[in-house]
Amino acid sequence: MQPTGSSTSVPSAADTELHRRLVYGDESALTEAYRIYGGLVRGVAARVTRSPLAAEDVAQEVFAQLWSRPYAFDARRGSLRTWLSLLAHRRAVDWVRGEARHRKHRHADDSALHAIPDAGPGPDETVVDRERALLLHTALAELPQPQREVVHLAYFAGRTYRQAAAELGIPEGTAKTRLRTALRTLAESLADPPDPALERSA
Amino acid sequence: MTDHDGVRDLLAAWAFGALPPAERRSVQPHLAECESCSAEAARLRETVRLLDGPPANGTQAEPAVPVLTRALRTRPAAPQVAPHAAPYAAAVSGLRALLPELEGKWGTPVVHDWDAHATLAHLLAADEHLAVRLGIGARVPASRIEEGAAWEDAWDRRTTDVIAHEHGRDPGATVADWSAQATDLLATPEARDSELASCATLLMGIRLPVSDHFVVRAFETWIHTDDLGRALGLRVPPPPEEHLGQLVRLAVRILGLALGPTAPPVLFAITGGGEWVLGSEDEPVRAELVLDPVDFCLLVGGRYTPDAVPRGATGDEDAVRNVLERAAALAWL
Repeated sequence: MQPTGSSTSVPSAADTELHRRLVYGDESALTEAYRIYGGLVRGVAARVTRSPLAAEDVAQEVFAQLWSRPYAFDARRGSLRTWLSLLAHRRAVDWVRGEARHRKHRHADDSALHAIPDAGPGPDETVVDRERALLLHTALAELPQPQREVVHLAYFAGRTYRQAAAELGIPEGTAKTRLRTALRTLAESLADPPDPALERSA
Repeated sequence: MTDHDGVRDLLAAWAFGALPPAERRSVQPHLAECESCSAEAARLRETVRLLDGPPANGTQAEPAVPVLTRALRTRPAAPQVAPHAAPYAAAVSGLRALLPELEGKWGTPVVHDWDAHATLAHLLAADEHLAVRLGIGARVPASRIEEGAAWEDAWDRRTTDVIAHEHGRDPGATVADWSAQATDLLATPEARDSELASCATLLMGIRLPVSDHFVVRAFETWIHTDDLGRALGLRVPPPPEEHLGQLVRLAVRILGLALGPTAPPVLFAITGGGEWVLGSEDEPVRAELVLDPVDFCLLVGGRYTPDAVPRGATGDEDAVRNVLERAAALAWL
């Protein structure tokens, strides 16, 4: 029998204590959460949005959510690190999709086919790469949670698959398999037709 | 497992850069000689490269200030008050944190015959006694309570009236009134000045310094927040250690008064700190009783029966039972 991932992990004492202080409105707990996880959250958001300003905005939203709805996090269902990382990623994907829709409308409005997206790719990135990246991040946000958790720890938080397994309380083989299933799904999503919301105006 | 299968298995972790060094070193030689693994590796690496995007330029440590400002706008931190009012400030903040989870669930049965809405209405009524004493106007029309009525009757009457009144309103209006009254209480000079709070006043049938009545408010707010959490299937954390200690010390004092000076003496201890002799001081101790601080509070709050509360006890069983029953009978809430 394989553990079912997130639902079986033992809450860490540090997470439990930090959560308690957040619940009881202790401002220093919010500062501490930001000190520990702010870099991770901004890093995840920057990967997806490609913009430090947007990443900052996403980080604000993520920590505001943690502070104003502390009960949305349940230490019995996973670590705070993973929870914040998943939330940052989802919010960042939402942000980019919103941007993409916004841009499409703007283009349609002034029918300027040559208009260059202002949050467009830097010199190191092609438009195609950028769109494929968004497609991948969207697919990542939709993976089953147990797979997403391992990807977040291994990829965004820089853990080895063994460390990720230990942190999630799952066997190492399971972590390896989940990474593999996840990355293959992502690779295959590149072959699928893109989300209509993301298509550029033709 | 062959080399091929072994490496094949590692390719995703390898592409994510999530292999320990030893395993990482085992991948490269195989890729050089295996075409299918090499193709798979390239496909997975390319996928990660696209996820990565171009190298980030300068997103180093941002100041925490703007992040925290937005968070604090959505929910203010517990206000700075004197130590005796800090547990109440935290408990109020803790209940506010739970309120979003009650959206659409106000009819959930909670405790006694109260739903979530009535539970909050009860807190509005219960806090009002101290609020009125400190010069804050009642938010619900006055109840008709006869002169000289026993405090329990007056207390129950008021809760019943306020619940009836609030059930005729939107839960949001009850939340707003409870919350505003709590804010007012925490803004009184008595919440901020220990000296002012040291004068005694009679509330809930007991004459205590105002500072202790603030602790009682914290106690009740937390216990009912815990009730609401249970009803929603959410685990409400116990108050911060320091506050829990304040609740325990006050409850022990009141328990000591309730037992009186002639009860068979029991050495009473709370795990993690605190030891008292309850009952007669003139006789040798008959028994020892140890309780967890949260369990003790739940017992005093009427959330445990004397039989059910987890305890460590040695010595005279009757003496122990006497203490447990008296604690449960405080029926504090």
